[in-house]
Amino acid sequence: MSTPPLGRVVATERRPNTPHEFHFWTALDSPVGIGTIVRVTGRDPVNGVIPVVFGIVTEGFSWTDLATPLHDVMGYNANPADNPLYQTERSEIRLYTAAVLRHVPEEPLQPVPMGTVFLADQDDVAIALRMDGYLKEGSHTGIPIGVYRAGGTDAPIYLDADFLIGPEAAHLNITGVSGLATKTSAVEWLLQSIFSHFPEQKGSVAAVCFNVKGPDLCFLDLPGEIDDTDRALYEQCGVPAAPFENVSYFAPYKADLVSLNTLRSNEALLGNVTALTWGLREVLQYAEVLLNKDDIDAKADALIDFIKENVLDKRFTDPMLERPHTVTSFADLDAWFKDVLRQLEKKDDQSWRTHHVATIRKVRNRLSNISLRCKGLVADDGATSDLPFGSFSDRTVYVIDVAGLEEDAQDLIFARVVTKLREHLEKRDLGVQHVVVFVDELNKYAPADGPDTYVRKMLLDIAERGRYLGLVLFAAQQFRSQVHRRVVGNSGTALYGRMDGDELATPGYAVLSPAIKTKLATLEKGQLMVRHPHFTQPIFVRFPRPAIMRGRDGVSRYPQAQAPTLHAAVLRALRELDPGITLGWVQDVTALATDDEILRARNDVVRTRPGDVRKTFASHFRASVAPRTASRINAPAPLPAVPADDPYGF
Amino acid sequence: MHSNVGNGSVFGLHDLQRELLSLLPEATLSVGEATLELASLPNDAPRLISATVLEGSTLEARRVDDPPVSGFRAFLDGTQRSVVATYIGGAPIVWGHVAAVVRERHNRRMQTWGAALRETRIYAPRAVLPSVTWNTLAARYDDRLIDTTESGIEGGLHPFALRDAALHRVQAHREVAEQRLAELWCASERDPLFIDGGISGSERVAVSAHTVGVVKSHRTLYAEDAALSAVLALDLGERSSVFRVTSPRRTTVASWYLRLRDPKGHDPMWGLLRVEVANPPGEMLHRIGERADLVSRWILAEANPLALPDGRWDKMVYGVRDCEEFLRAVS
Repeated sequence: MSTPPLGRVVATERRPNTPHEFHFWTALDSPVGIGTIVRVTGRDPVNGVIPVVFGIVTEGFSWTDLATPLHDVMGYNANPADNPLYQTERSEIRLYTAAVLRHVPEEPLQPVPMGTVFLADQDDVAIALRMDGYLKEGSHTGIPIGVYRAGGTDAPIYLDADFLIGPEAAHLNITGVSGLATKTSAVEWLLQSIFSHFPEQKGSVAAVCFNVKGPDLCFLDLPGEIDDTDRALYEQCGVPAAPFENVSYFAPYKADLVSLNTLRSNEALLGNVTALTWGLREVLQYAEVLLNKDDIDAKADALIDFIKENVLDKRFTDPMLERPHTVTSFADLDAWFKDVLRQLEKKDDQSWRTHHVATIRKVRNRLSNISLRCKGLVADDGATSDLPFGSFSDRTVYVIDVAGLEEDAQDLIFARVVTKLREHLEKRDLGVQHVVVFVDELNKYAPADGPDTYVRKMLLDIAERGRYLGLVLFAAQQFRSQVHRRVVGNSGTALYGRMDGDELATPGYAVLSPAIKTKLATLEKGQLMVRHPHFTQPIFVRFPRPAIMRGRDGVSRYPQAQAPTLHAAVLRALRELDPGITLGWVQDVTALATDDEILRARNDVVRTRPGDVRKTFASHFRASVAPRTASRINAPAPLPAVPADDPYGF
Repeated sequence: MHSNVGNGSVFGLHDLQRELLSLLPEATLSVGEATLELASLPNDAPRLISATVLEGSTLEARRVDDPPVSGFRAFLDGTQRSVVATYIGGAPIVWGHVAAVVRERHNRRMQTWGAALRETRIYAPRAVLPSVTWNTLAARYDDRLIDTTESGIEGGLHPFALRDAALHRVQAHREVAEQRLAELWCASERDPLFIDGGISGSERVAVSAHTVGVVKSHRTLYAEDAALSAVLALDLGERSSVFRVTSPRRTTVASWYLRLRDPKGHDPMWGLLRVEVANPPGEMLHRIGERADLVSRWILAEANPLALPDGRWDKMVYGVRDCEEFLRAVS
């Protein structure tokens, strides 16, 4: 049975149709709304073919035959409360403006012809959005982003993996007001969708997510509650309604260096949580991140380079110095600085190897300060526990929880992890071929104005060149207008949740009609506006609530563990490697050790993962001797009697 | 020869003008002519006629006490438009278009009942045209060609008189179109139909229990002396006594005046309607007052929404305006 027409195209001299826009009217009870996709079947053939045009409704108008509002006032005797008997409703029109999505055939490109308007069905939607090009059997690169729903038509909407993950285009930017669980939920849903639908021929893909606030991303591997509506959306999109199968968490220690700085600290969930600690080498490579321009002038920069090239991880000798130094940790570095400065003082000299004493003091001050500012992340002893660069797994999410860290430490982690990802992807030895990096609060890391920080430069670099490497940025922020233009401009795909009115008033949204802006300002949870290279106009879709435990549910169901004692924390770390270790054994072995010594031993074991955990751990400590009660020494045995024939006897 | 006029019952003025210029070498194009409906003022003189009162002994004001109530299911109105297409030797060849429609109310929204009637004709004064010209036109337009001089012309062959004659023919055709639709209604429907204008032109319509004619123009008033004073003094919601309207060429109907809107501050005709219904048979005559009250309540219920911006909005109900707007859109 053919679908009945929805409306008819109209054009007047004052409101003409163009190749990119047309107008049509509908019945008053038609299901058309802003964002509805329609199909126009032309009236007259062009080159022997009836033209078909697809459009999306961007504006709506309605009016009656009232010539002036005054006439209605008169009808009500100037009293709004008056209720005269009205047998007849005034003639009324619903007129819509639609933006053209596609002409079939594409040539000749003409103004939209007069014709009949139909509600687009599922096949029409695929053609209108040019999805037919990448949903072909055998070359399917579609990644479901949600379901388009209007007037009874439910159609899954697919993004093209070549334009979402690369190499044709890449990156995704999502914007929307905070507190509606849209941005994070949308990214979680999209990652699930990518993991389910990323084409095999395109290789492997993993995700690295920075959890920058609260418990948002702390329970990705636990099932959450979804309703039947969500379940139906999952089914339509062909994505399993289940949490992520493979998730690895990384979090630095708190300042006590004992408990992990994450809301996922419940004992029951620690199985896939790994400490993130870096030593001097890792930090010094990214000193630029932590030191601002006032800190690093040319002289300081030269000294830092000198240390990196000549001091770090090497046996350093100098005739002036008291002793040779092998600097592998902040503690070693501080000892080296002290030696240099002490000798300069002794000699009453102002420079050493062209570096002025003031510069040396300044650099010492700034670098030493890093281990305090980033305590918990930066280990004094040089111990390193890192992401598994080189052995990343396909369809795995790596979450780095930086929510509880100072801004400096967040920047450091972000810069180093992304740079390492990039280096490994360049060398093709990361373990996967594509990595999606999810960053929230992008307006903090890549602001439109403000200082040109290392992190911003790095984000710009990813945005502009990452797609060739397989390094894809999924970024979110509340105010897109406050993010650097080159970062958002290079995002092939953009998602919009509910928007703030002030944000919508900024010039970046001038291309949207007032009706689209109104819709954006009132979007429900679970609705998004999508821009994608294949879509000539933004499309509205619904996506399901992620089948993942929400952060606040996870926090209440898995409350944070009490801060463990030092011994308990060490036991927890060692048991990962040797489940037979007991608290009593740890206490015995470390009975005479200081806290620093115990932590150093733990870090070493965790880093080296030895075969014999007990032996390696115990080797860090002096052997303790069990106390024994002193006993009276027995009297010595009497000397034997002198032989009678002793020639030397007296 | 390709022609946009073709053989259909509807064709445009410009199509006709193009065709006439090619058919008749002596034809001159007439550009920018106003419609005859605007150009010709009504020429029937105002008059007062005494009528037989059917309700009581004298024509007096009667209040419609009960509140307005919905009664009409549909509304009927017709439109006409006539323009001089060309002059041949000073004789106007007129393009005339008539249309009529019944608009039915469904869930308080108006929609077309059946199909609208639309007809276009050519009105020409055969008496003043060369026979070759008339024959050419007749050969081309056949029954769509109307002789405006067939029954003589008041005012001789004055071009204005010829124009008025054409206008009267167009009016007559419009009334016929309206009557045809009204007769169709009477033949198939059992709900009240509001007809803009009188109903006495068609006997079938005039005797139907399902038609109500509402007349807005009052060139002829069916009251004299005290009765006239009573009619002109009708207040909002008041009607006159029912009287009988008879005419030699028309069917007798029962009629009364009704004030649709408050006349304070306006002329005496403000909101004044004359209602026509079927003349009751003798045995039902005593109930004509009840019938007038009920029909008046139906009409008063149509006072809103206002028919503005039509200049006749004080007397016009919205359903009739809707008919006119519909016909304007499709004509």
